[in-house]
Amino acid sequence: MSETVSITIDGRTVAVPAGQLLIKAAEDAGTYIPRFCWHSRMKPVGMCRMCLIEVEGPRGTLLTTSCTMPVTEGMVVHTKSEVVRKAQEGVLEFLLINHPLDCPVCDRGGECPLQDQTLAHGPGESRFVEEKRHFPKPIPINDLVLLDRERCILCARCTRFSEEISGDPLIEFVDRGNHTQVNTFPDEPFASYFSGNTVQICPVGALTATPYRFRARPWDLEAVESTCAGCAVGCRVSVQAAQNEVVRLLGVDVGATNQGWLCDKGRFGFEYLRAPGRLSTPLVRGEDGELREATWGEALDRAASGLAAVLSEHGPAAIAGIGGARSTNEEAYAFGKLLRSVIGTGSLDARVGDGLDAALAVGGTGRIDDLERAKTILVWAPDLKEELPVLHLRVRRAATELGATLIVVHPRRTGLDPDADHVVHYRPGDGFSVLDRLRAGADDLAPVAAALAAGPVVAIVGRTGLTEPPDLASAVAEFAASLPGAAVLPVTRRGNLYGALDMGLAPTLLPGRASAEDEAARAALADAWGSPVPAPGRDADGILQGLADGSVKALVLLGADPAADHPDRASAEAAVAAAGFVVSFDLFLNDSNRGADVVLPVEGFSEVEGTMTNLEGRVQKVNRIVPGPGLSRPAVEALDDLAARLGRSLGGGADAMAKEIALAAPAYAGITWEALDWGRGRDGMIATLAGGAAAPAPAVFQRSVAPAEGMALHLARVLYDEGTMTLAGPAFAPLIKAAMLHLHSDDATRLGLAEGSTAVLTGSRGSTELAWTRDDSLAPGTAYLPFGLGVSVGAAVSVTVAPGDGSGER
Amino acid sequence: MSWDSDTRARAEEIIVRYPQRRSAVMPLLYLAMAADGKLTDEGMREVAEHTGMTPAQVYSVASFYSMYKRELGEHLVSVCRSVSCHLLGGDDVLAAVVDETGIRPGQTGAITVEAVECVGACGGAPAVQVDYELVEGVSPAQARALCRWLLDERPGFVIGDDLQARFGGQRSFDWGPAEPVGALGPVPAFEPYGTTGGGA
Ligand code: SF4
Ligand code: SF4
Ligand code: FES
Ligand code: FES
Repeated sequence: MSETVSITIDGRTVAVPAGQLLIKAAEDAGTYIPRFCWHSRMKPVGMCRMCLIEVEGPRGTLLTTSCTMPVTEGMVVHTKSEVVRKAQEGVLEFLLINHPLDCPVCDRGGECPLQDQTLAHGPGESRFVEEKRHFPKPIPINDLVLLDRERCILCARCTRFSEEISGDPLIEFVDRGNHTQVNTFPDEPFASYFSGNTVQICPVGALTATPYRFRARPWDLEAVESTCAGCAVGCRVSVQAAQNEVVRLLGVDVGATNQGWLCDKGRFGFEYLRAPGRLSTPLVRGEDGELREATWGEALDRAASGLAAVLSEHGPAAIAGIGGARSTNEEAYAFGKLLRSVIGTGSLDARVGDGLDAALAVGGTGRIDDLERAKTILVWAPDLKEELPVLHLRVRRAATELGATLIVVHPRRTGLDPDADHVVHYRPGDGFSVLDRLRAGADDLAPVAAALAAGPVVAIVGRTGLTEPPDLASAVAEFAASLPGAAVLPVTRRGNLYGALDMGLAPTLLPGRASAEDEAARAALADAWGSPVPAPGRDADGILQGLADGSVKALVLLGADPAADHPDRASAEAAVAAAGFVVSFDLFLNDSNRGADVVLPVEGFSEVEGTMTNLEGRVQKVNRIVPGPGLSRPAVEALDDLAARLGRSLGGGADAMAKEIALAAPAYAGITWEALDWGRGRDGMIATLAGGAAAPAPAVFQRSVAPAEGMALHLARVLYDEGTMTLAGPAFAPLIKAAMLHLHSDDATRLGLAEGSTAVLTGSRGSTELAWTRDDSLAPGTAYLPFGLGVSVGAAVSVTVAPGDGSGER
Repeated sequence: MSWDSDTRARAEEIIVRYPQRRSAVMPLLYLAMAADGKLTDEGMREVAEHTGMTPAQVYSVASFYSMYKRELGEHLVSVCRSVSCHLLGGDDVLAAVVDETGIRPGQTGAITVEAVECVGACGGAPAVQVDYELVEGVSPAQARALCRWLLDERPGFVIGDDLQARFGGQRSFDWGPAEPVGALGPVPAFEPYGTTGGGA
């Protein structure tokens, strides 16, 4: 790797890594060679000819494409010779034969490589007077991306991305010669979760995305680097705004995390910030029982007096807090401090029954970048493509480009299956027995066990679905930790859940991942805060139970919607409704805070400054570029004001919280806003474990098993669910698919379900009619239902034919 | 699911001759054409399914090669427009075909007419092909007669030697070995795939 060769570029001799492509070596050595088709994260094709340079050789000087030429010792290169200049002019003159000169109405105008390179290297005038070729102006290639084939210069960046990187080659070159164009198969759109990347890497304005199209000129944009909050991968983004509105997100290439890519949900998921339902003024419940607008002063007074009343009547244990998984670390920390120190309750949780065991979540030993060196990868986790899309791309790259052996264990097919070497599908509930047989090297799993013996192993571990008990993930993590050279990455979806746990938003965790059960740790924190720190209280499930049985009276929500997010929707809803007093800090009204007593509008992504921590413990900066709507305020300030009304301020705004975090959480020492804003810190800094804390808790696992009778239910998220990000912005509306029940063919036959008929899914919490489809990747006896699409029936499931659907009588 | 079990079986026979399934895409496209009389979207979907490619990838291959036809009449008349034929009046032959049939090159009516590059019969220029069967030394008048015959008689199939005798002129290589069964016949050392529809 570290071997270098010396080459001479335009008379300057430099040492460059052996075997590197000339275009890259030259760029790193300070000589930029113009290009269209070459992209540093994809294989070269040499299609556009823009990168022609001269290389001296035994048979004279040769014009060659620098993007396909590896450097060799003693290579002599000319990038600015007369011949090169003529070649560049020729290439551009040819590209412009057909390229329309509609720059004034092109979204790319002003930041277009074709414009820029024509200015720098073009001939200035063309000898071609013929009519340019014509295609109907833009055609949609999916619900988000439009293609203008007249502008396309056929560089194949988009098609190569779809094949090499995202693995869904649904766009291709079609036709030939002068008619060559990029297109989809007739009636088969570019249905990719990653299509927005093609818009970003297209070197011209051929691909545009509907959310940004015609909304701004590039030179009017303001930009700030930030971190996507869409899921726990934490992709680095450039947030760009025009006239105080976010208009687009671009991926920033951070080698350790997103490598430049974003998923479409993250990229286009900013529209919710300006959605019509966005809260812009505080709301309090009036005497008529309806929420009405109020001033901040009035609303905060109401919140404080309501909480104070519960405090004095029932004590701090009757108050609990849920939320923080979508907030910044500073907000999460402030929330935890309000609950523990000012109110004095130990009942707080950022998870809503969908997370991992807290100790497991913060006990990871792996980094995403370990995938680059992995020999074997075990993914026993949610379908990464649906829940952590860019991590899916990283695993895919390791398996397809870097030669790692990929093992996927899941109740049904996942996005990674096509690239996996071993796929194990199991009936939900049978996870423990699969694990046992894997440990024992049972016959059918012997090849998998053998593959796992070849390290380094990266194990991506999480709950495959919401019906799966968290203890299985903990057991898998423990097993994985014993594998050779193991790096374990515990994964769960929500944006800043890891940060929230690091900030102590779990009953068992204090800021900095210290155990809340540890008296000394509590005492140390009490010293720092100047107030006692309560012993661990209830977790989210316990809080909901307490609300239902009346032992918890008041609930404080920070950007949380337990009614919608909890796998057992009906009981969560009932619990929240039973709460005596609810204060919610949120961007929207939702199923949980519609009945609240006080709703406080807070600022969200791109509106506040702070940090977030991704699933590998990487702390990254999020930045502010637009103000929140109306009267909305940063959550930290609102929390602080509420704390002050309850008797003690939290000690300031987000910047003050950031400084406090470094003190209260030693793992975060040195990770300051300043450090994250400059130099290498821009790529984030890993919060190293405090004093060897919290390895996955070796516990006696409660060995859950599949129900002997009825169907086992697999409940898992899909990328486009009915969440705030997807529902509130118009871009995703057409992408949200109605919930469908998936069944094995054998079950369909056994149940007498006819093709196209309706099935009835019955669970402990009710039953519902819905369309069904065959899915033979499921084990017989399993029903799969996508979560978050408005269908919820609870556990213990049976499936029958819909009454009156005579098609399937049996 | 437009392919019948015979076509599927034949597809599998073809696929096993290749190290990777996707390498069989081109013969399978011929098979798809034979099955439907032309290359349909459904046919391309079938090929995609059999090769493990996406339909877009199959479409890309199919649309690159001009002999995969998405539109096809009962017969295909290909008039050569490359240099030798051009010098010896190929343009007039094409004009005669267009005039007689009322079908422009690249268009399909009862039959399909196209202008193609060199069909390898330069010595017998100008050359025309009907369903890839060669006729050499064709005059504009003969081309008209040929088209009339195709349109009026609607022959089920055509044979090159027969066409040559009825509508051809000077041939290029009279001294060459006679090909006993026309262009569809077996070529030594190269077993036919049987993708041309007639069953070989
Ligand atoms: S659409 Fe853009 S990225 Fe795709 S081939 Fe054309 S110019 Fe390249
Ligand atoms: S993978 Fe996650 S962090 Fe990355 S862009 Fe998508 S939603 Fe955002
Ligand atoms: S960049 Fe080298 S040929 Fe396109
Ligand atoms: S030019 Fe017409 S056959 Fe060769």
